[in-house]
Amino acid sequence: MWAYEKKLQYPVNIKQTNPALAKIIITQYGGPDGELGASLRYLSQRYSVPYPEIKAILTDIGTEELGHLEMVGTIVYQLTKNLTMDEVKKAGFGDYFVDHTSGVYPTAASGFPYTAASMQVKGDIITDLHEDLAAEQKARTTYDNILRFCDDHDVKDAIRFLRAREVVHYQRFGEALRIVTDKLDSKNFYAFNPEFDKCENKNKPPKS
Amino acid sequence: MTERERLLRNLASYDFAVYDLHIYLDTHPNDTSASKALNEYMNKSDKLRAQFEEKFGPLTTSDKDGNRWSWIADPWPWDTQEG
Repeated sequence: MWAYEKKLQYPVNIKQTNPALAKIIITQYGGPDGELGASLRYLSQRYSVPYPEIKAILTDIGTEELGHLEMVGTIVYQLTKNLTMDEVKKAGFGDYFVDHTSGVYPTAASGFPYTAASMQVKGDIITDLHEDLAAEQKARTTYDNILRFCDDHDVKDAIRFLRAREVVHYQRFGEALRIVTDKLDSKNFYAFNPEFDKCENKNKPPKS
Repeated sequence: MTERERLLRNLASYDFAVYDLHIYLDTHPNDTSASKALNEYMNKSDKLRAQFEEKFGPLTTSDKDGNRWSWIADPWPWDTQEG
């Protein structure tokens, strides 16, 4: 169960309309390394995990990502507020506008709609945590790239906050991976799937 | 910056400290100094939240004052703030 709070995790208050920038930032809403994918990835991976610390960290970070999704949606909304048709045409916003007007739609900057094909739930927590570490780095790179396009302080401020969270989540997932590998026994030297093969009262590991 | 914005910004900073310590404690459950700091920020956040909600309406649906209009009322989080 989730409880909604009627506030953002970090304040966003953009005064200057900029549809060209919105078209780039939307990628963190519905793109391959965006917040929607991040949240769905962690919140889906957690079910089959046998360790309580990892259930907690996937739940808590997956929840924070929903807050980030709301922040990115807010940035895009505020950047496209009170648009004139002149601004739409000048900014090259027409190809987004024709399908979504100034609505916030989960898509990559390239126009490719959100797809779960850019994430994985492997059912092997060692494999999944490696994906999660990579996901945080990919999102951090994307925010770095977004910052190359920003000259508005209000936008930069919010994007820098989101970027910093990727760095912190990377640390937490690194610790999570260490916790999991510490739990492996000496017979599982090559780190086979501890969810399926190595849990007590579950299947035995494949014979090598 | 309006009074509402200022209070909300302070509340966001306390809640951020609470949340960041919370996920740190997921992977470091034995760190007593971090869990002490978490409690301190939680108390600060609770106090400021009560102060904010009294002036500007509920932040969650668990608010008990029964005023439905103050939950519905603008601004919502994505609305731009004036001033």
